[in-house]
Amino acid sequence: MLRKVLLIFVFIVCFGLIAEETGEAITAEEIIRTMTETLNPEQSEAVMEMTITTSGDQERTFVYKTYSKNGGEKSLMKYLEPGRVKNQAILMLNNADDIWMYFPGTNRVRKLATHAKKQKVQGSDFSYEDLGSSNEFEDDYKSVLLGEEEKEGKLCYKLELTGKKDSDAGYSRLVAWVEKESYVPLVIDYYHEKDPELLEKELVLSNVKTIDGIPTPMKMIMYNKLDNTKTSMSFRELTYDVDLPDNLFTEMGMKK
Amino acid sequence: MRSVASFLMFVVFGIVLNLLVMPNANAEELDVFGYFEPQFIFLYQNGNSYQMNSDKLRLDLQSSASNVEFGADVIYNLYFGKKSWNILDFLPSEIVDEVPSGMRSYFRYTFNDTLYLDNVYVRMSNSRIACIFGKQQISLGTGYFSNPVDVFNLKDAMDPTYEQTGHNSARLDIMLLNRTSVMFLYSPIESDWNNSGKLFRLKVGLGHFDFVLTGYEFQDKLTDFYSLSVTNERRRLTGCEFVGEIFGLGIWGEGAYNFMEISDDYYEFLLGSDYTFESGLYVLLEYHRNGRGKTRYEDYNVNDWLRFYLGESKTIAQDQMYALINYPVTDLIDLQLMSIFSISDGSAAVVPVINYNIFENVDLNIMGNVYTGGEGKVYNSKLGNGVVIRARAYF
Repeated sequence: MLRKVLLIFVFIVCFGLIAEETGEAITAEEIIRTMTETLNPEQSEAVMEMTITTSGDQERTFVYKTYSKNGGEKSLMKYLEPGRVKNQAILMLNNADDIWMYFPGTNRVRKLATHAKKQKVQGSDFSYEDLGSSNEFEDDYKSVLLGEEEKEGKLCYKLELTGKKDSDAGYSRLVAWVEKESYVPLVIDYYHEKDPELLEKELVLSNVKTIDGIPTPMKMIMYNKLDNTKTSMSFRELTYDVDLPDNLFTEMGMKK
Repeated sequence: MRSVASFLMFVVFGIVLNLLVMPNANAEELDVFGYFEPQFIFLYQNGNSYQMNSDKLRLDLQSSASNVEFGADVIYNLYFGKKSWNILDFLPSEIVDEVPSGMRSYFRYTFNDTLYLDNVYVRMSNSRIACIFGKQQISLGTGYFSNPVDVFNLKDAMDPTYEQTGHNSARLDIMLLNRTSVMFLYSPIESDWNNSGKLFRLKVGLGHFDFVLTGYEFQDKLTDFYSLSVTNERRRLTGCEFVGEIFGLGIWGEGAYNFMEISDDYYEFLLGSDYTFESGLYVLLEYHRNGRGKTRYEDYNVNDWLRFYLGESKTIAQDQMYALINYPVTDLIDLQLMSIFSISDGSAAVVPVINYNIFENVDLNIMGNVYTGGEGKVYNSKLGNGVVIRARAYF
């Protein structure tokens, strides 16, 4: 009887160990997918503040309202401040493959071609692609799990993402530290498109809070290592509990 | 005194409207913003130098409550320096010789201080339909320097993105499908329905392209500056536009065919392309043909010049190329070079520009202009070379 109990105990321990082992064998693709889903909830509405610090240490602050739908596939930004960009709007569809800008001074909508995707938004260190493309990590990069490492005091998965051939990847490779518990990336290093050893930008995400059940980094700072500039973005207001109509993501929605 | 009274009326109107809007659900406060824009123009012409300066104040009011939005702006322009000009001073001497000496004073123009309602409108909308009534911005076409389908605004090719004044109209936009919409616009320009403007526009998005069809009927005017008589005639414009990209290049175009009641029918079209290099260098090129323009500069006459200067025609010559190169030197400073080349007569204007966001809410623009053409050509050096320094402080 005792032997039977011991056998069952050993079986349970072994099964537990195997199960735990199986749970840890998460792939890089699964981590990236979960991270992408965490960063791009189905819908969101937020007011954000963006502060650009130039190489001459001058600061420019923008406040804008942002809406996104279909996990970030559609997004709309409307500037609230400062006065020189007030009521300007940027509509990005198909993960920023289609971009329109609205200029209220002339009531004109201008469509930007995809060559503009990699350009800075209002002189910031974020490109249109950075702000409007939710699928770039999965679609444009091949990922490899390098191991686990502590970053910013948190245990993280360390991943390397290499630009796929014939993809639209804006960088040669990325190195990302994704927090194991929340699947929020804490640091992403962006390497130059033509030189995989040249660190171009570093994105640091912090102040992770749970909003409507979703872990969210409330602050992001993009450091441009080549230009010696930085851009910080933080949420002033944020909700994921919204039901945004499709008509918001149209020319009419930009002007409203 | 009348100007001050008008200004006070505008402010009172805004406050009353805000009080009407405020009690509704989701009402927002009246938003007051705008800018102050001092501008200095230095001109060197025929051995003489001049300066003409202005101070512009724009005050915007905006308020919205659920599906109703009210917007208005009033502009006050104060001119100083050389305010009186004679258009004939800028024309080739053989053209001026055609004008009878007794009529030359008719071509004098003085910039008087002005105060006016630039826009005032109410916009009512739901998720699919938007109605706008009042004096409002109407901008049509995909072109950057010029818009053949846009008969409401005349862009200054030297400064094509500068804001335009509003137009009195009633506008209805209906969203039929995602990226498919129609627009109806009635512009009561004349005293009756027949002679007022009626516009229809269909916009369709297909893949990475947007296509637009436009039909517009309105009363057009053409002045004969020899006899100082004006001909009014019905003009029916049919136009089409597209914007998209091919092989990574942004491309766009727009064309219009004008059926004229009295004068000859004519066409106009524009094709453009742009590209942004990895360094941030942006290059834009546009080709523009105006079927009403002349192909030989020897044929330009008083009517051609004055219709162009007074905004009755978009160009004097038939064919022109526009180019724009923009390079962000820093995150706050852009260097630009614009050029307008009249293919028909070989003259060109070159406009170097510095755009500097000097403070959080202050932009500084410095624009030069150099004309290279010989006597009698569109961009002839007799027009004078100059510099415009413009600051704009937003509040």
